[in-house]
Amino acid sequence: MSYIGIIITFVFINNFILTQFLGLCPFIGVSKNVESAVGMGFAVTFVMALASIASWVIYHYVLIPLDIVFLQTISFILVIAALVQFVELVIQKISPALYKALGIFLPLITTNCAVLGIALINVRNDYNALESFIAGIAAGLGFLLAILLMSTIRVKLDSEWIPKPFRGIPIAFITGGLMALAFMAFDNALLNNLLG
Amino acid sequence: MLKEFTKGFIKENPVFIIVLGLCPALGVSTKVVNSIGMGAGVIFVLLGSNIFVSLLKNFIPEKVRIPAYIVIIASFVTIVEMVMEAFIPALYDSLGVFVPLIVVNCVILGRAEAFANKNTVKASILDALGMGLGFTLALIIIALVREVFGLGTITLFPIGNFNGVIEIPGLIDSPVRVFALAAGALLVMGFLKALFTWIEDIRRVKQ
Amino acid sequence: MKEVMKIGGKLAAICAIAAIALGIVNAITEPIIIAARAEKVRLALIELSVGLEIGELNEVNNEGAILGYYPLSSLENIKAYIVNIIGSGYAGDMNLLTAISLEGEVLSVVLMKHTETPGLGKEAENASYMEKFIGKGNGSIIPSSKSHLDPKEADSIAGASITFIGIGKALNEAADFVGQLGGM
Repeated sequence: MSYIGIIITFVFINNFILTQFLGLCPFIGVSKNVESAVGMGFAVTFVMALASIASWVIYHYVLIPLDIVFLQTISFILVIAALVQFVELVIQKISPALYKALGIFLPLITTNCAVLGIALINVRNDYNALESFIAGIAAGLGFLLAILLMSTIRVKLDSEWIPKPFRGIPIAFITGGLMALAFMAFDNALLNNLLG
Repeated sequence: MLKEFTKGFIKENPVFIIVLGLCPALGVSTKVVNSIGMGAGVIFVLLGSNIFVSLLKNFIPEKVRIPAYIVIIASFVTIVEMVMEAFIPALYDSLGVFVPLIVVNCVILGRAEAFANKNTVKASILDALGMGLGFTLALIIIALVREVFGLGTITLFPIGNFNGVIEIPGLIDSPVRVFALAAGALLVMGFLKALFTWIEDIRRVKQ
Repeated sequence: MKEVMKIGGKLAAICAIAAIALGIVNAITEPIIIAARAEKVRLALIELSVGLEIGELNEVNNEGAILGYYPLSSLENIKAYIVNIIGSGYAGDMNLLTAISLEGEVLSVVLMKHTETPGLGKEAENASYMEKFIGKGNGSIIPSSKSHLDPKEADSIAGASITFIGIGKALNEAADFVGQLGGM
């Protein structure tokens, strides 16, 4: 699988939110304004890239040699939780400005399905270290793209009249559904035509 | 006491009212049988985690309670994963990555944090069963809408001569495919959530 | 410091108990899972063998798509081979077993494991999808591009063309490989 193929696949064709339903909670919860959506998007991308590498190392250098692959889920989630804590500490020390922007989103990321999802999907797809890393970044960017688009649409929706039962979360889902319809245009045929 | 059990069905339904655990709710709800399987897995994990969190509430230090809960939840999820792969491999294959992802189902961590660590074991068991069944019920409703319209079938477990698939006349030949796809899941979820909000509003006005 | 040790110790105790419990469950379920997988391969081999006698697995370690092969024989004469191949889908690999005659004709194909997205690539699990490959080779082309199909057939694989091409390429490689093996 070529690297460009992986990127296009994870950003567009297999967009985590719009086709795989991974990371839906923040997609609905943190997309009310553009600024926090972008903050969440970058925080997730960052953690996903690191988590992809960390889980690859754990899987190939700890779980397989010790023959304890059955502890995969438990070790991945602990690594992700530790990683999020660590990233939070480092960012706080190095860049208070960045911490102010991303800080409040970091604790939410531990229980974001997308992060554990990419770690598990990398293993299932037998990706090597570099492929895992690229898949992590690409899936994160796909998340960023979807949540950014969503937040800009929701800002516009705020000034529209919506039937009462549909206000808030229901209209967000329906908007997401329409976005997913549009993303169906990105299918394998596209990848086929681009990469031959 | 009974209230702890029934609140999860409608009043505090984890999917439609509190809006948690969405990834599996939409990801596996293409067929009714997948919803039932996923629901059973979640009930088991929720029961196990609620019991242990409640039992260990005085043992687990406040500062590291979240990692401790995650370890407990992940253990039960791994047990579900292994048992499902060994005994119902077909279901395991169709649920795919969503089985290990039960770990990050916010409903489970949410119940540990909001209920089990403050209540008795007995109340926690009732809470787990109620919330788990409420979650399963929500998944089945979503799957019913998606499968009936999207595939024109209702897939249940095969029993005896019955192969487990009910075909809906009229829809089986020309299903509305979009319901089975990702976009359909989000649209169905949006309309169902609106329906529940509407029902809730009417109830509040009556009171 | 003592407080930290105590907290860490408690957390470690929980982890240790969890790991032991999982180890026990794993010890019970693992043999069942392995047996079920072996059974799946055995059933697939029987389906592919069309009544011929299945020989021992020979593993192949090259960089290509071929993982191994089983000779199929009748009265000690090798008639065909079942080849275990890896085809690349658009987001991961697919494992297939295919029976190929000595003349290079694809007799049948079974998809064993795939990582394609549910919905689109899953079409490959349908028998009708695989039928587009069966009977090809030995003179005709094993399709590995949409242009090898007539337009009506090409439409039916619209959503899964990368999967289709991946399988086609792997099958071509398998057919060449069988050609080199010959009857031995």
